[in-house]
Amino acid sequence: MTDPKQRITEAEAIEQAKQGDEAAFELLYQLHKRRVYSLCLRMVSNPAQAEDLAQEAFLQLFRKIGTFRGESAFSTWLHRMTVNVVLMQLRRKGLPVVSLEETLESEDETPRKEFGTRDVRLTGSIDRLQLQRAIDKLPPGYRTVFVLHDVEGFEHNEIAELVGCSIGNSKSQLHKARLKLRDYLKFMRAEKAKTG
Amino acid sequence: MTCSEVERVLPEFLDRAPDDSFPDAVHQAEFETHVKSCLACADLVADLKLISSAARQMVESEEPAPRVWVRIAAELRAEGIIRDPVPTPARPALVPTAPRRRWSAVWLAPVAAALLAAGAYVVSHKPVAQVVTQQVSPVQVSPVQVAPLQEATPGGAASPVTGANVVTPAPETAHAQRSEARTNSVRPNPTKPANPEVAAAHAVAPSPSVEDQQFLSVVSTLAPSVRATYESQLQAVNADIRETQAYVNRNPRDADARQHLMDAYQEKALLYQIAMDRIQ
Repeated sequence: MTDPKQRITEAEAIEQAKQGDEAAFELLYQLHKRRVYSLCLRMVSNPAQAEDLAQEAFLQLFRKIGTFRGESAFSTWLHRMTVNVVLMQLRRKGLPVVSLEETLESEDETPRKEFGTRDVRLTGSIDRLQLQRAIDKLPPGYRTVFVLHDVEGFEHNEIAELVGCSIGNSKSQLHKARLKLRDYLKFMRAEKAKTG
Repeated sequence: MTCSEVERVLPEFLDRAPDDSFPDAVHQAEFETHVKSCLACADLVADLKLISSAARQMVESEEPAPRVWVRIAAELRAEGIIRDPVPTPARPALVPTAPRRRWSAVWLAPVAAALLAAGAYVVSHKPVAQVVTQQVSPVQVSPVQVAPLQEATPGGAASPVTGANVVTPAPETAHAQRSEARTNSVRPNPTKPANPEVAAAHAVAPSPSVEDQQFLSVVSTLAPSVRATYESQLQAVNADIRETQAYVNRNPRDADARQHLMDAYQEKALLYQIAMDRIQ
């Protein structure tokens, strides 16, 4: 790959990108592409859409790079911008970024277990593909909060600000999302065990 | 504390920092006592912790296709955000770099067109022998049996698949392999083989074709970071072609896979085209 002697820091790349240097833009893209694309993919569960959203996030960032003053981390700026791009897309498509509980209850296809009764536990580790499939099944609102909190590491106050809900709502949706994921994962394991 | 009370305070327990305690010490003691004595609640706590920690591992797990950067760069160039470097003062006549680069890139145009033609040929061509074999002889696929890459030639002819290269996975195996490769991304991640098929496609990576060598030679004149990007994108798209070709060889009736293969060829042609635009 790149000759280490030629490697420049992110801060230098940002300054060079402000001058329109393509190599600097590419370096910034290479540094952050996985995080940005992964975030988009988790949120929309569609690779083609995720590519478009990642592209849009980078374009918005690069168009505004001249205004970046370095007060916050570049990655923080980019990730917030990516979340905003994705949420804007969800809103445009009429998908709820915050779950509507009454709607969700009827959409829930997985029977809810009563507390206090024991069944199969998710022992060991969780396969990444299985977890991704389970996340894909989450209603969009639950998925948004789960991805932002548990995958991306945003705090509840940041999520509340980004999606426009209360902190309590964010906490509640996160918990419900985890419970649904648990049900989905157990269901998938049971199905897999049945089919051998 | 009852099971439902445990569930109510569970989010607080799960999301606190490791060294934080409950705001209410009584609650914490009751919570811990209950969880120790109730297997169902203990399982619930363990499972939710497991889900959260597994989720954290997904943060950078996906690689976007090379075409994403190609599109971004094209858009930035069109909007004038990427600016061409200011020409340096004339160099001594002994180093006529610019004219040579322009001349050396002339071959890229027909090669890009040929790649598209080759892709169209491969996608539209249905190897009858394979179809028959797949129907009558389903056997478990072995990674070492994967058919080698059909490299496109500048003349636009990709050699058709021959019966000698036929491998026929059991339908359910093929379906499972394909699902695994495509669940997260339409384009399977070329940097992280997710299954034996992908691993095999990487394992049999041939040395660069003549066209790829010329392409690499041309982009070697660019800045190191740009060159590295072109190199990695070429590797990625070649791996994608190999991987998809191997799959199509075994599943010639899979229209999605054939379309995916055509997309991969188009992507490679686009990569050549972008390089040509940049150099000229």
